[in-house]
Amino acid sequence: MSATTRNRPPDRDLVTRLGGSAVPLGPRSVVALVLASIAGLAMFAWPLLAHPATGGQAHAGDAPLVFAIALPILVVIVLAQFADGGMDSKALAMLGVLSAVDAVLRPVGAGTAGIETVFFLLILAGRAFGPGFGFVLGCTSMFTSALLTAGVGPWLPFQMICSAWIGCGAGLLPRRVRGVREIVMLIGYGVVAAYLFGALMNLYFWPFVAGTDLAEHANLAYVPGASLWTNLHRFGVYTLVTSTGGWDTGRAITNAVALAVLGRPVLSVLRRAARRASFDPLRSAD
Amino acid sequence: MRRLPRSVHPVAWWIWALGLAVAAACTTNPILLLLLIGVSCFVVLLRRGDAPWSRSLRVYLALGAAIVAIRMLFRVLLGGPGGGTVLIDLPSIPLPSFAAGIHLLGPIYSSSLLDGLYDGLHLAAMVVCLGAANSLANPKRLLKSVPMGLYDIGTVVVVAVSVFPQLAESLGRVRRAQRLRHDAATSRRHLVRMTIVPVLADALDRSLALAAAMDSRGYGRHGSASSRRRLLTGAMTIVGLIGVCVGAYGLFDERAPETRRWPVFIAGLVLGVAGVVVSSIGRRVTRYRPDPFDLSAIGVAAGGALSAALMVWATDVAPADLHPDTLPATWPVFGVLPLVAACAGLLAVVASPAPVLSRTREATA
Repeated sequence: MSATTRNRPPDRDLVTRLGGSAVPLGPRSVVALVLASIAGLAMFAWPLLAHPATGGQAHAGDAPLVFAIALPILVVIVLAQFADGGMDSKALAMLGVLSAVDAVLRPVGAGTAGIETVFFLLILAGRAFGPGFGFVLGCTSMFTSALLTAGVGPWLPFQMICSAWIGCGAGLLPRRVRGVREIVMLIGYGVVAAYLFGALMNLYFWPFVAGTDLAEHANLAYVPGASLWTNLHRFGVYTLVTSTGGWDTGRAITNAVALAVLGRPVLSVLRRAARRASFDPLRSAD
Repeated sequence: MRRLPRSVHPVAWWIWALGLAVAAACTTNPILLLLLIGVSCFVVLLRRGDAPWSRSLRVYLALGAAIVAIRMLFRVLLGGPGGGTVLIDLPSIPLPSFAAGIHLLGPIYSSSLLDGLYDGLHLAAMVVCLGAANSLANPKRLLKSVPMGLYDIGTVVVVAVSVFPQLAESLGRVRRAQRLRHDAATSRRHLVRMTIVPVLADALDRSLALAAAMDSRGYGRHGSASSRRRLLTGAMTIVGLIGVCVGAYGLFDERAPETRRWPVFIAGLVLGVAGVVVSSIGRRVTRYRPDPFDLSAIGVAAGGALSAALMVWATDVAPADLHPDTLPATWPVFGVLPLVAACAGLLAVVASPAPVLSRTREATA
């Protein structure tokens, strides 16, 4: 073990070398994260889940309101569990500074056809500091930018959990891949994440924007109580028509270009910071 | 001795705004919704300070207008169902069969357009009410009142909000250094790279210095909780989350037994929150100048709560007032109760003191 450790190239970050991570993910945090993600997915996909037999008519009206209250509580519970797992002041300061940088980057692209400049830093930070850090950074950066520029609204918890998933997923990518292949992998992940984010946020906004179709009239609205396939079909067309061409593709291109141009230098800056901060696994065992 | 002017507790503003938003959620009557929007704008104009977040109301009003416009546009573009007068008879364009039998355009009915307008106003009113809280409540002070279980996350956001203005200064420094070195940055790509990387490196160095400062002052530290308490909070959180999962999927499954739906969902959420509360009990962190939840804060919060309560009451007493007919289109009318409910938010102006502006603070100092 010791021989191989010494022979490793010096640019290895501490996540790989020590098996530690800026925000340690204990077994309890992992279980809480998985459970909250399963429940959170239901809160996005409720229009598709309503059972066809008797229909969800009674719930069609109150479901979005209930979930708009329940999802922030869910996010709070998971973050509290993460904090209970132990974060030191260096991780806190790093999260704060990176959230501020993300909050600066967000209005840079806002308003110009889907140019979304938030995600590339989120993906790189999740990659460099591990999945737990990526998850928390996704939440805090969205929250901070909402406070500072973008505004707090009922959509905020949904954006927070989506970007938390993106940051967490970037941390879970295979760690061994390095060099050019790493950047290519991250670009691929960034493109997939951009479309998934667009689809999930569309799924959340869909019943609000297109309305609820109670009169069985053929348009793009959500039909409470119709089969999963019918609603999925309608949603697919709605997404294709409204956003895949513009916003989602714009977001995917922004992600790909930003990761290709800035991926290498930013990753090395982040890894240098991780080395200097030396997030060691011994600390959390106190 | 004169008391120093102090601002209202930020949580009070949020309770007030959420109350107004709940009231807006109860009705689709456009006049009531416009009244609610007017009340929140009026209170914001009278009671906002001069901090950066206080100027955000305009953004929310623009967003509300966009929501109304988009919803009405959808009705036109997708030829929604409806009846009554045909305003414009556009030709209908059927899409191929893979597009789920959708047809674009088609005749525009007055009722369909009115439905779109009412729905859009309904959402826009809720957005503007929340925007009002955004411009009235100081986010830094709000973060001081997060529960102890979230102390770490609160610290992260406080750090982020405080670092935000420093980044502009950092950017200026990097630019100046480049000018002094007379870097002839040829391509634009090169310029971006030459700016973002040094700013980011500077920010990360700063974060390490900040962490050292926080350590030496005891920030971001809390006494380690006993392992028994951590086991308890972990168990409560996980059992609660399992309940939420079962409930969230059960809600839409009509075949599920009644107990696997709302009771499980609510119980799971309550258990999870109780876990956060239990983890908060063991921690002790002192606070510098805590905001008291004083009489003015209670008055502000009561204004919003009263508005919500009266409007919810009105859904039982006068449901017809809250949801005017669009087919046939009638002029929306309502009784005294919804009117009082919509205007109850004005209580906040009476209860709260005039805002503390940084200019007046400098003048009195």
